Amino acid sequence: MGFFRRLIDFFTLGSDHPVRRLLAYYLVLAAVVGVLIYFFPVFDKVIGSAQIDAATTGPQVLEDGLKSGTIRGFDAELSPRLEFTLSTLIILMGTLVLMLPVSWVYMSTRYNKGHDQQVAQTLIFLPLVVAGVVLVVQNSLALAFSLAGVVAAVRFRTTLRDTRDVVFIFLAIAVGFAAGVQTLIVAALVSVVFNFVLILTWRYDFGRSVLTPTAVSEWGAPLEELAGSRAGKNVSDRDLVLALDQKQALALAERFARVRRLLGPQGHKPRYNAVLTVTTEALSEAQAAIAEALDQVAGRWRLDEAVSNEGKPSELYYLVRIRKSMSRDDLLTAVRDRAADKITSADVQLSKTTDEHEDKS
Amino acid sequence: MRRPPLAAALTAALLAGAGCGNSDVDVLATRETRLAAALADTGSAGRPVARWILPPDLAEISGLALTPDGRLFAHNDESSLITELDYRRGAVIKQFYVGKQNLVGDFEGLACVGDRFFLLSSNGKLYEFAEGAAQERVDYTEHDTRLGKECEFESVAYDSTANALILACKNVKSKRLESMLVFYRYDLDATGEAGVSEFTIPFAEAIGGNDWKQLHPTDLTVDPFSGNYVLVAAPEKAFLSITPAGAVVFSRPLSGRHPQSEGIAITRDGILIISDESVNAAATITLYRWPRGAV
Repeated sequence: MGFFRRLIDFFTLGSDHPVRRLLAYYLVLAAVVGVLIYFFPVFDKVIGSAQIDAATTGPQVLEDGLKSGTIRGFDAELSPRLEFTLSTLIILMGTLVLMLPVSWVYMSTRYNKGHDQQVAQTLIFLPLVVAGVVLVVQNSLALAFSLAGVVAAVRFRTTLRDTRDVVFIFLAIAVGFAAGVQTLIVAALVSVVFNFVLILTWRYDFGRSVLTPTAVSEWGAPLEELAGSRAGKNVSDRDLVLALDQKQALALAERFARVRRLLGPQGHKPRYNAVLTVTTEALSEAQAAIAEALDQVAGRWRLDEAVSNEGKPSELYYLVRIRKSMSRDDLLTAVRDRAADKITSADVQLSKTTDEHEDKS
Repeated sequence: MRRPPLAAALTAALLAGAGCGNSDVDVLATRETRLAAALADTGSAGRPVARWILPPDLAEISGLALTPDGRLFAHNDESSLITELDYRRGAVIKQFYVGKQNLVGDFEGLACVGDRFFLLSSNGKLYEFAEGAAQERVDYTEHDTRLGKECEFESVAYDSTANALILACKNVKSKRLESMLVFYRYDLDATGEAGVSEFTIPFAEAIGGNDWKQLHPTDLTVDPFSGNYVLVAAPEKAFLSITPAGAVVFSRPLSGRHPQSEGIAITRDGILIISDESVNAAATITLYRWPRGAV
């Protein structure tokens, strides 16, 4: 995969633009398939070019059964078992490489609620299964009825979060069907057209009512601020920030605010150099015990925020400046000594990211 | 940055390389030239001069027939799809269907009589129809030879000398004929039972020195040079020729790769065509040189 990624980077000049990367992926795939067909014409049969030829009006040229050196397809040169094994393998691999970009597009375009990992994985698995089923059933009415009977006995009750996810599932089934009937070329076209149409409708917010404010218009300003006009200073990945939804953006903004308080005004020595995070079931008792511990080991500290959660332990965030003679472990030890029976867990994040460790008490 | 032209050139080269090749016209012309050379090669006697792998819808190819103008038609076993094949160049010219609705049956043989086609089913029924255009559905007329109780048929050919269809019996149902190779002539000038005549050859005579127990002809044709009936029998891999009077001209094993020979035709330009049903491999038609003298 690393080589493939580098190849795509080569074609896209390292661009992260989804359309470019998608285009590069399909171009590389087309080139690989083209080379395979050129050297192994048997691939042509599996991807379904024969069906396309049959649809044209010109005479259908038959394969030459005597020409020496000609690869005449599995029928003529391989045993039926090997033929079936190889064609099945090609079909399944083809299905996989065609569904990978679909899953990427799915994950990229689910920007409002975040993508469902189960659906993303289903997009990979489902067409493989469908292709396998279609390969087994082929033109057998009896097998088709048997399959219907077996499937009827299995009840699927999964509810998809987003109705648009259903379209992806349908696409997965379509690609699996096309692959199963050995028309991978149809599967490829469906995959390509679907991905580009989807990514363009997502990019241009197709179908939005002009009277309804967009997520961008509502959150554009705070997100832009979070991303920072001083590009890269606050968040390294600006695109990532702009893809956040409201809840995620607020959570991230709060964390940034805490970090800013930790660091203090720009150009000055940071007032604090660590964040102590404590979870506790007994909020007031824990606060008192932790205050004693911090008085002992911290040069400066203050309670930044106390978050109460229903049904879960409350969270306490302290901004702390640890004395030079003290270490992170000393701070945690002091907190544990004073408040071990009142807290669920304690964690210290130092301003040096390499020192971030979690300590569960 | 010089990479875009390089990348584009590489992609274009790969795609162009994958897509390039001779056009169909060039391929067909080359094949025709090669076939002519192979036919002219006197040292190639007995070896196939061409073999074409047939498309999946002819996997169960069951009969061949030549029109008076030398065009080859084939049909599948269970469907009424008729296919015109260019045997010289290896191409499917057109396909048409018999019957406005899907005509399904156990079709075993095909014969051409002028511009009329006759499709034979194993129970002795003949379906007469005219040639259709590509993808056309043509009407048919059904003739019942009433021979279904006597025989299971698998081959039919047109004998222009007698103006009759020759039907070879694959499996005999009548006890009186069980040790015979049985043929029926279906006179196209007469009507009713009066138009059907029978002639038989004892198995012992037809088998000759070969080690076959019986003979189950799967197709026959009329040699355009001698007027003899030339048969293939797939179960025995037999190849024999008999005169219209019933004398055996030759009887020998069918050499070459013929897993299930279901059709035979001999063209006026001296090409023997044998079709093979798909058995562990694709269906094919194989072309051999056929001596133009009487065989």
